Amino acid sequence: MEKETVTLTIDGKTATVPKGTNVVDAAKSVGIEIPIFCYHEKMLRLGCCRMCLVEVEKMPKLMTACTIDATEGMVVKNDTPKVVKGRQGVLEFTLLNHPLDCPVCDKGGECPLQDNTFNYGAGDTRMEFKRFNNVKKKELSPVITLDRERCIACQRCTTYSEVIEGDQALVMHNRGFHNDIGTFNDQPYDTRFSGNVVDICPVGALTNSIFRFQARTWDLDNAKTLCAHCGCNCNIEFGARENELMRVVSRQNDAVDDGWICDKGRFGYEFVSSKNRILEPGIRKDGEMNVASLDEACDETVSKLKTIIEEHGPKSVGFIGSPFASNEELYLYQKLMRLGVGTNNIDHKSYDDTPGLPVAHYDFTDIESSDLTVLIASDPTEELPILDLRIKKAVTRLNRNLIVLNDQKTLMDKYASLSLRYNVGSDGVALAGLAGAIADSLKQGEAPKVEKLEKTTGIKPNSFKDFAEKMIAAKKVCVIYNPAALTGNSVAIVKNLLSVLNQKPEGECGAIPAAPATNALGAMDMGILPDFYPGGVSLSDDSKIKEVWGESAPTEKGFTTCEMFEKAASGDLKALVVFRSNPIVDFPGGDKIEEALKKVEFLVAHDMLHTETTALAHVVIPSVGPGFDEGTTTNIGGRVQYRRKGLKAESFPDWRVLAKLLSGFEIEAKYLDSFTVTAELAKKVSGYEEIRRGSIQKEGKTRPAQASVNGKTPEVTSPDSIDGFKLRVSEKLFAKDKILESESALAHHFSEPKAILNSVDAKKLGIKSGDRVKVSSGNRGLSVEAEVEDSCNPGAVVVSNAGDEYRVLALIQDHNATVQVSKE
Amino acid sequence: MFAFTKESEEKIETILAKYPEERKMSALLPFLTLTQRQEGWVSPEAMVEIGKRLDVSPAYVQSVCSFYTMYFQYPAGKYIIRFCHNISCYLNGSDSLLDYLSKKLNVEVGGTTDDKKFSLIKEECLAECSAAPVMRVNDDYHVNLTKESIDKIIDSLK
Ligand code: SF4
Ligand code: SF4
Ligand code: FES
Repeated sequence: MEKETVTLTIDGKTATVPKGTNVVDAAKSVGIEIPIFCYHEKMLRLGCCRMCLVEVEKMPKLMTACTIDATEGMVVKNDTPKVVKGRQGVLEFTLLNHPLDCPVCDKGGECPLQDNTFNYGAGDTRMEFKRFNNVKKKELSPVITLDRERCIACQRCTTYSEVIEGDQALVMHNRGFHNDIGTFNDQPYDTRFSGNVVDICPVGALTNSIFRFQARTWDLDNAKTLCAHCGCNCNIEFGARENELMRVVSRQNDAVDDGWICDKGRFGYEFVSSKNRILEPGIRKDGEMNVASLDEACDETVSKLKTIIEEHGPKSVGFIGSPFASNEELYLYQKLMRLGVGTNNIDHKSYDDTPGLPVAHYDFTDIESSDLTVLIASDPTEELPILDLRIKKAVTRLNRNLIVLNDQKTLMDKYASLSLRYNVGSDGVALAGLAGAIADSLKQGEAPKVEKLEKTTGIKPNSFKDFAEKMIAAKKVCVIYNPAALTGNSVAIVKNLLSVLNQKPEGECGAIPAAPATNALGAMDMGILPDFYPGGVSLSDDSKIKEVWGESAPTEKGFTTCEMFEKAASGDLKALVVFRSNPIVDFPGGDKIEEALKKVEFLVAHDMLHTETTALAHVVIPSVGPGFDEGTTTNIGGRVQYRRKGLKAESFPDWRVLAKLLSGFEIEAKYLDSFTVTAELAKKVSGYEEIRRGSIQKEGKTRPAQASVNGKTPEVTSPDSIDGFKLRVSEKLFAKDKILESESALAHHFSEPKAILNSVDAKKLGIKSGDRVKVSSGNRGLSVEAEVEDSCNPGAVVVSNAGDEYRVLALIQDHNATVQVSKE
Repeated sequence: MFAFTKESEEKIETILAKYPEERKMSALLPFLTLTQRQEGWVSPEAMVEIGKRLDVSPAYVQSVCSFYTMYFQYPAGKYIIRFCHNISCYLNGSDSLLDYLSKKLNVEVGGTTDDKKFSLIKEECLAECSAAPVMRVNDDYHVNLTKESIDKIIDSLK
């Protein structure tokens, strides 16, 4: 649909802009800058600072350019004496009580007030009275400090809190002369997105408590890079001084983050200097870990692996990759395993997933243009925060619709027009039920057959019907699902559902596979899978594999992580290479995994931080990780972007480690930097042909969607009835894990895990909120506080993955995740 | 703990009926007024409750409440005396009368008597200039004030 445009002139220049654009943005489009304070292109037009005064022909008075729409034939003047005088007057007011802090102020050098004063400010003040003094340091939270004197009351921050975050936590008290930015009863302003107010405050009033008074902005070496915490891959700028990371700010990319980042991205970077970092390679001899050179560690790895391959065959070696690593690293690893070792025992996850989609792969911007977003098993607020903001934007500001299908309550329910909750563990049946309801309504498409739908899922057939009808009625539907929160073969059922939906006669649909990990999609694309080569090439596509990877490329299906651990436990898997992954804590059933890893003859851990897994390794190789590394990652929307390094590492980049290992296996590996790897993978991985240094520099590039292998309609298995409770582990954004440890600036967000019980079950067990309960399975027990809330349906308990020390996932010891709950 | 009384709840129904459901936050000022009439002030607990009823955050309630100087965010006296000190009243001697009243009640301007009976507040124009000096005690106006009339008014308040 063509958008209607209007044409106007500004200082004699002609601008044609979409109808509804305000004069500030219209001027910007032709390179004319109108000074502003309160206006922000992502928020409401406030008109409260009056800095943007312009003359508009036929209007008697000066107008605020931010509040008026550009109209056809409008004539705007931005530099007449009247305009200049008006702005001078406004600035004189603004500066009346503003302190002369510039020499020490954090905003200095990037401050709109400085810039505007430079352009319009008087050289002197006419003020004869003493300046009004005010509080210099009001801690709004452990990470945000307000300098009340510097505030010019523009209300950007309060508007942000209300409109963008949607929780009205930051407000303006005592509006008028004594106005004061604050919260309810001086509670901390500690939302998940609070740090953005530091970026948008046009003066140095809201400051980053950690960066405060630490450096001048112009002394920073800024690297335009990506956040590496979750699958959104928000664009950020790393500001370092003398190789020390001083701060992180957002770097707007509308196709990804819309200009915002979450507090984990902004403040959660201590890991770059954690004392837990692995600094040197090590080789274990007689139980003792000894420091080694990289060459020694790589030689040891190659020779041991070769011996094991010789003795037990390539199938006795496995690789567990990381959904947090870059495409280049993962690409090289799978190459090493497939062509060097000769095995497909390659995986990176504990759940089932397959590459490709039967529908379009949607991006963040598609959420805005979709009439309906369908959220399945996803909790964006905790898992993919910037996705949370984008969905909120679609619902609250663009009048889009949201419907939710999940087994637990999330903060997104508040924005949904329909929210269905299936019983924990019945996701396969629920999705098949929904697919069936869609097929029924469309009178075409084949969905898996299910029995006892209501009894199994706890959702009435009619509700499925309503849900399905909403999906069919919408012109554009965006289905967001989290494969990591689905069980069994549910991902296959989601894909079946999508292909059924795709048959609707009108409109379009697409999906976003929203696994939380930073480069989960990249790991799929790079073929860190036992049954797919990079680019979603199935093992059955023998000729293609041979063509791209050579005659010796293995085509026998490899082991999944789960199978690898089983084989390790039984002694069949002799060697395992683990790259940036800590399965003992991060995979379900960690105890068994730990036992299995202890049995492995040769365990290589290539990681950034010391973990429970690296502690067992025979060879440890440091991985420099985010901040120091370079490479591309692929976000949930399929956008490939470049993660630059912001700091110089003491040790070697991962691609160099891989080059050594590859050479050890007589595979040519003459890489000069990460981009030479990118260039190679662009040639080998379908979908990545266009990915190269030049094409991804700015906003990244969306890789074309991969088609999914068309299988037959999947089967559904009903969940077993169990004796006890089903455990649902919910994710927490600020979990006390290896990345955010106790010294983190975000430590105030840490909390103990809670057991959230449905009121029906709580009543049966005589448990009240606040009681201590024990959640246990096998030899594992976790003593936690109970909370009675209908977060999930009866029969299940939700425990948040609040930190590594609690080992919540170790409670999962069978495929039903059965646990017992008892009062202590 | 704060709770609306039964009478307040009845009034709430009438108040809410005046606004469309999706605009119920418009009922914020009537709610604040109602709360102050019931409690004499608007406590943080009351703000939380109002926020719940109107689907706004307690912070928002507080920000609105703090804009209007006639809402109290602390417990005030049983009788709130608002004494005009704007130009007309001032020209007619309001400052010495205010001083007199302050001594009589033994409370500073802006304060509340120890027995929590009176709060004495300096107020901007009460819009009754033709009968200056003026003060307002709760909902009642008292005009053309003199020391004697002030004595009489205060003595009549139980
Ligand atoms: S703190 Fe900053 S953003 Fe907030 S009102 Fe003041 S000047 Fe504006
Ligand atoms: S949403 Fe994800 S990628 Fe974006 S800043 Fe937060 S953690 Fe980083
Ligand atoms: S930018 Fe226009 S009034 Fe503030």
